[in-house]
Amino acid sequence: MARSRSYKAQKLIERMQQKLTRQMVVSLSACVHCGICAEQCHYVTSHPDDPTYSPAYKADRLRRLFKAHLDWTGRVVPWWVGARSVYTDAELEKLKDVVFGKCTNCRRCSLNCPMAVDLATFNRMARGLLSHVGMMPEGLAHVSKDQWETGNQMAVSPEDYLETLQWLEEDLQSTYNDPSFNIPVDKSGADVMYTINPREVKFDPRSLAQAATIFHLAGENWTLPSEGWDMTNFGFFTGDDDLAAAMPSRVYDAAERLGVKKIVMTECGHGYRSLKWEGPNWAKRTVRIPMESIMVTMRDYIQSGRIRVDKTRNSLPITYHDSCNLARSCGLLEEPRELLRLVCTDFREMYPNRAENYCCTGGGGALMMPEYSSRRLESAKAKAEQLQATGAKIVATSCHNCVDGLLDVIAHYKLDMEVMQLVSLVANALILPEQKSPPADAQG
Amino acid sequence: MLSTSPLLHFAENALQLIALFFMAIAYTLKLRWIFRFPASADRQPPANPAVTNGALGARQSLLAVAMPWTMASTRQHPLLYVQFVIFHLAVAASIAMSFAIPYAPQRIADAGVIMALQLLFLGGAAVGIVRLIRRIADSYLRAISSPDDYFSLIMLIVWLLSSTWAAPNHPSGGEAGLTVYFLLTAFFLVYVPFSKISHYLYYPLARWYLDRTLGHRGVYPLNGA
Repeated sequence: MARSRSYKAQKLIERMQQKLTRQMVVSLSACVHCGICAEQCHYVTSHPDDPTYSPAYKADRLRRLFKAHLDWTGRVVPWWVGARSVYTDAELEKLKDVVFGKCTNCRRCSLNCPMAVDLATFNRMARGLLSHVGMMPEGLAHVSKDQWETGNQMAVSPEDYLETLQWLEEDLQSTYNDPSFNIPVDKSGADVMYTINPREVKFDPRSLAQAATIFHLAGENWTLPSEGWDMTNFGFFTGDDDLAAAMPSRVYDAAERLGVKKIVMTECGHGYRSLKWEGPNWAKRTVRIPMESIMVTMRDYIQSGRIRVDKTRNSLPITYHDSCNLARSCGLLEEPRELLRLVCTDFREMYPNRAENYCCTGGGGALMMPEYSSRRLESAKAKAEQLQATGAKIVATSCHNCVDGLLDVIAHYKLDMEVMQLVSLVANALILPEQKSPPADAQG
Repeated sequence: MLSTSPLLHFAENALQLIALFFMAIAYTLKLRWIFRFPASADRQPPANPAVTNGALGARQSLLAVAMPWTMASTRQHPLLYVQFVIFHLAVAASIAMSFAIPYAPQRIADAGVIMALQLLFLGGAAVGIVRLIRRIADSYLRAISSPDDYFSLIMLIVWLLSSTWAAPNHPSGGEAGLTVYFLLTAFFLVYVPFSKISHYLYYPLARWYLDRTLGHRGVYPLNGA
């Protein structure tokens, strides 16, 4: 007699069959259970006695479902190949705990798999299947709802957004004693449209002020859009491809409406990956407007002489944390290093680095899932050891999420370090024209 | 007039062809099934075409099997990589031998070649045993292993041992070794499409799709880490 299945489990299985791509099918079929991925995962290195943290084990939670419903052998003799379907909501809860609470989708295992099995993409897909039946951590659900409803993850109203920009503009005019200092909004035909993380207007506008200062001193013809300014994407974290397509679409629409020549993105790893690479795929549209991270923009300004910097103002030893999304999934490997060498005197690598770096442990939306915080901080041991070995006093990064992740690691492991974004280091090193005075909090 | 028994003659020739034909049909159907799923591809232009692109990324990726230094996982475990090389070379040589014995026996008739093959097969079987022990003893591997994982490994160990026995190809000295080898080879050919051993069919596809994307986005070829 066939075993009965809960409504949600049935819907999840149906959804899986709709969402599978050729890449996923090949990847799901290719794993040989060699286990070499295990120690590439920061969760494993800090939980050496618990095999349930192994990437292959975690990926098998989805693979066994795939095998039970699609694989030839799995459908006939499921026990032989470890195929198993899901039947109850309790089993879905267990799956949720694994895919949201034991993996940050950092993709380090994927790049270290001899078979090129993209385990992180499995994990995102499994998240998407669960989200489809309403199962995701409350923090992610809350923020996703805000993004759907308001177009930004912190539910900043249009009035608050514009007021904050106005206040920021007045503050910068006063700080620099320069009435020409402005933060343009919806300027048609601007060369650059800048997109930001909502926390820059909601909680901490310093990085936005620093970016505005850099654009101003570079003489950039830039603008912020009044709509479509949030470059973050919680659909990326939850696996909800509809939200994942909707968020970047708002930005592309804004850029096309304003007729800008380029979209420049604030320092945000998942936002950059979502907007530049995955967004056009999810939204099924080709975006002809070039997109770049502000780290690249700043490097180009310095190299072309549009802004001048004095690297001795950043004289403390600085290391760089590669955001997983920027490095492993988007190839921004040398650009941050080129920039750092221009703006600081003592840059030192941490090892491993670039595409082999360890996650800050705050990726994959982990910072919005406090129920898994203790597990996440335990898993940060590898990161803490990496940081400590550099002897640096500052860890620079180019991702808002990594800033928060690293701050947690530093506090938890009591490291003598602070975290700075690249934009802050550039702002700190800026040589201002004679009539302008530097902002007090930018002096090192 | 046959120089071998009808059973061995059948096992060496007709049985192998039947098994190969079955395998070819199974793989054709499997590939047809895989290619029915939609493939995704990046819509944006490549990140850094002066340095890399999708084709370069995929090329490095496909060659990664011969470049253990490109992945931290293989750099950290050179012995596992050596085991991988020996094991897969032994399997490839045994497959080649299953064609050489019936169709070009003179190519493996030299005593030196026979000894080299036997050493390779024994080495492969030894690696298989080490891998089996690792799979049983390592809690991480045990947690992800299915009966197919164990059976495939045991089957290959036995098959490589039978290859060692069959390598001299002297039916006049007794056909048991050759008969066992060819019967196992036929079983192997029929079983493989339904087991994890068919990973070699997926390997180039998996590498191509992932690393074409990473090459397109400027991640591959990796350097400097």
